[in-house]
Amino acid sequence: VSAAARARLLSDVRRKRVSSLATARSGFPLAVALLVVGACSGGGGAKPGGVGGDLCAASAPGQPPPGTAPLRRLTRFEYGRALADLVGADPSVSAGLPPDEETLGFDDIADAYSVSALHAQSYLDVAEKVAADFVSRADQRAAVAGCDPLAGDAACAARFVTVFGLRAWRRPLDADEQAAMAALYQATDTPGTGDGLSAVVAAMLQSPQFLYRPEPGTPGAMTAQPLDGYALATRLSFLVLGRQPDAALLDDAASGRLDDESGLMAAADRLLADPRAAEVFAHFATEWWELEPLSTLDKDRSLYRLWTDGTPGAMAAETQAFLTDAWQGTPTLRTLLSAPATFVDADLAAFYGLPAPPGTGFQRVALDPARAAGLLTQGAFLATHAHADQTSPVLRGKFVRARLFCTPPPPPPPTLVVRPPTVDPRKSTRERFAEHTADPFCAGCHTQMDPIGFAFEHYDATGRWRDVDGSQPVDATGALTGTDVDGPLDGVVDLAGRLAGSPEVAACAATQWFRYALGRSEALPAESCALSALSAALTAPGGDFRQLVRATVRLPAFRTRAPEVQP
Amino acid sequence: VSDHVSDESMPAAAETRARPRFGRRALLRGAAGAAVALPWLESLAPRRARASNQPPLRFVVMFSPNGTLNDQWMLTGGETAFVLSPILSPLEPHRADIVIVQGLDQQGGGGDGHQNGIGGMLTGTSLNAGPFAGVGAPPAGWASGPSVDQRIAQAIAGATKLRSLELGVQVGAADNWGRMSYRAANQPLPPLDDPASVYDTVFTDLHTDPTVLARRRSRQQSILDTVGAEYTRLSGRLGATDRQRLDAHLAAVRELETRLTTDLVVTNAACKDPQVAPVDKDANDSFPAVGALQTDLLVMALACDITRVASLQWSRSVSQTRFTWAGISEGHHDLSHKSDDDAPSVAKLQTINTWYAQQLASLMTKLAAVPDGNGTTLLDNTLILWCNELARGNTHSRHDAPYVLAGGAGGALRTGRYLSYEGQGLPHNNLLVSLLNAMGLPDTTFGKSDWCTGPLTGLL
Repeated sequence: VSAAARARLLSDVRRKRVSSLATARSGFPLAVALLVVGACSGGGGAKPGGVGGDLCAASAPGQPPPGTAPLRRLTRFEYGRALADLVGADPSVSAGLPPDEETLGFDDIADAYSVSALHAQSYLDVAEKVAADFVSRADQRAAVAGCDPLAGDAACAARFVTVFGLRAWRRPLDADEQAAMAALYQATDTPGTGDGLSAVVAAMLQSPQFLYRPEPGTPGAMTAQPLDGYALATRLSFLVLGRQPDAALLDDAASGRLDDESGLMAAADRLLADPRAAEVFAHFATEWWELEPLSTLDKDRSLYRLWTDGTPGAMAAETQAFLTDAWQGTPTLRTLLSAPATFVDADLAAFYGLPAPPGTGFQRVALDPARAAGLLTQGAFLATHAHADQTSPVLRGKFVRARLFCTPPPPPPPTLVVRPPTVDPRKSTRERFAEHTADPFCAGCHTQMDPIGFAFEHYDATGRWRDVDGSQPVDATGALTGTDVDGPLDGVVDLAGRLAGSPEVAACAATQWFRYALGRSEALPAESCALSALSAALTAPGGDFRQLVRATVRLPAFRTRAPEVQP
Repeated sequence: VSDHVSDESMPAAAETRARPRFGRRALLRGAAGAAVALPWLESLAPRRARASNQPPLRFVVMFSPNGTLNDQWMLTGGETAFVLSPILSPLEPHRADIVIVQGLDQQGGGGDGHQNGIGGMLTGTSLNAGPFAGVGAPPAGWASGPSVDQRIAQAIAGATKLRSLELGVQVGAADNWGRMSYRAANQPLPPLDDPASVYDTVFTDLHTDPTVLARRRSRQQSILDTVGAEYTRLSGRLGATDRQRLDAHLAAVRELETRLTTDLVVTNAACKDPQVAPVDKDANDSFPAVGALQTDLLVMALACDITRVASLQWSRSVSQTRFTWAGISEGHHDLSHKSDDDAPSVAKLQTINTWYAQQLASLMTKLAAVPDGNGTTLLDNTLILWCNELARGNTHSRHDAPYVLAGGAGGALRTGRYLSYEGQGLPHNNLLVSLLNAMGLPDTTFGKSDWCTGPLTGLL
């Protein structure tokens, strides 16, 4: 274990001990205050990123085995797309499922799954609906096996089960499975109705082979095992496209082309060239940047008169278009953090006070580079990281620490009695938050967040530019401390430039991606090398998020199945 | 004569009383349903067996979040001559039908105060270790035992369509801050928070042509049979952790199969296919409208005997609902951390908590309006628990947790009282045991055993 990794571990231990002490002593504010100040003034705590050099060379002996490989369940995002590909459903049918459990900010962390009768009922209802729609369309059902399975030809129906089963379960059905489906067909069919066919489709879509991503392996194995071609194809397709493997990829799996790295990377590159890969990138970025609350966001309309029911949806569309464009163009960290351009339609342009774009719908517009900085100055981010009636330097600063540097400040003591600023229109935000730094109890942690958040002060709680805050000119000066890009700040563009040049931010971005991509948290120090490889894919010359995806495919944790951890 | 007919010899009576459009199908409890119910009911035989002509018992939980205000909640006066506090004043018309239980310490452990507050509130257990990182505490997972409503459902659900019905209003993300009801350890039950979807799934039998329904049920049984076999087959090939997940899924599939083989028996003329007005279920300002719809649906599900155990979860722990309809623009949780000497904030919190008391009053009024046979109303045969994950928002204290019991519990609960257990240091698990006893279960302990010293004295 390298010195850096050891330091990180020690730091983790120290942080945990402090927070558990703080909980135990929560009845004694003074003790809490001292501990919390201590925790925060000690610097940023654990840093992301990994070790480097020879330790991580692929051939290094004693390379730790990849971390766990929990059984993945299709998220709603993936389920909707899978049904679109398999049976032509509208992907929004996934809204009929209970929400995915969320932890670490992501919807696909396997440790958090739970299942209930409501889940099973929803899977049943959606499967029945999409199966009936699918079977009712002659062209669709005939396209599967090249013949109409309802025409009375038993061989055609059997072929349908074979082909559809392969696509739905991402591997060929074995003889028992084929027989079970034939029996279901017999039990439910009335000739000419399609009832048997839709029952088979509905059953396949509720099977664990579809809803989950089981991978063959030996239970209780003590060493990492290679994955077969179908399991690799499945991992790859969900990683890059968030969808089922297509026919070509299943062919690759059958022919063994994915078993060596060049074949696997060729397949990865083919999928990366699919424009739909942008959907996964946008979905990941939306969760990473904590933009999900936008869908139900509202603001105090007595203060923000331009905010309407349509504003959150327009902001979501703006960010979606921006991320899609970034993916297709230059998907670098720098683009996300500092691109002086965005996408608006006429209404959103009016909201922001920008000139209306040419044409209809959302159009790319250049912004003032002295004011604009990628996602950091888009309404989707600014409005979700603010209160309904005022900005929040705390929420914005905390976001930068927690999601961009991966060094979340310790939380406030749980029993904190807060006396935060009430909105006094005569006072600026900065004056109202002055207590955070005046009071040593608060200052220990808030000096890590507020001075970053102040840099956003030219943007109000809805994401609109402002020059006046209360009755005074905006003061957007602040500071970054405890990072690899420390220094005074003046405005969000200044902040963005620092973030874009920070190796720590790149390492954190890679860590966030790792969690999303593998559906679990990283195991340290065992996976320091994996994180280093991912981080390098972002920071190397020509590095970007496409390279990050490619580097993920190369990881041992991606290409092999980890030994099982006994509970 | 009871309105509730489950006797196969009286189908005609059931038929004429059933109001739903396709009520003809909603007749007889299937033989399979009865056969399923019997084996466990014997082992859990209610302590006081109810006569067959008595209306069934029901149990309802109502949750509101973020603690309350001590001074504005505390009652004055004696056991029966109590004076309701400002927050509880909306219950004045129902004072004969409530019991205020004061002075218990709500237990919980693992994770932060909100997390283990809502997780321990109905389970009387602590949270397992898990992935949800709380505030100032190691990450926690789901509760480590079943919740009291599910224990009750196991005993009183009988051959109803739904073992229990979990409803919510803007319950937010799927995590352990938003789950209070647990089928078993690690098996949280997500509340349905879309009234339109409740209507579709819960009331299907009332608005579907009986022949269509029969065909669908037979077909879905075949499908689920095939699906269940696949879960069984795969489960055997997985390691222990993954197998637990898949086995839970299989259990859920089996529960659906039980629903399919259970006929809805409608005997109460008050049972009608409900109307659900369209509403934006997620918009902050629709919170009261969504809640009113969910309350109506809950009452109707009980009236139709679709289920006998239900819950209504208003928002979630750490709720940031903004009570704009009451002139409050700040989020509830933000307000809940304000100081007790911050008068404007305290006034707002009083408004919020009083509003929730009004929702309980409204639920009670609606239940009382439904005749339930033998001259009783639904409220007479229901036991309601109103609870909160905390006692105080700004300290996260759970000492003196705020509980209101309401409804007659079929005569088991002596209502119209204010009971203080203050100074005795009793855990709230004792209240949970008493709830089981009120529902006729003979249990003497519930939840974590060292958090329980037996039922509360003087309650029943």
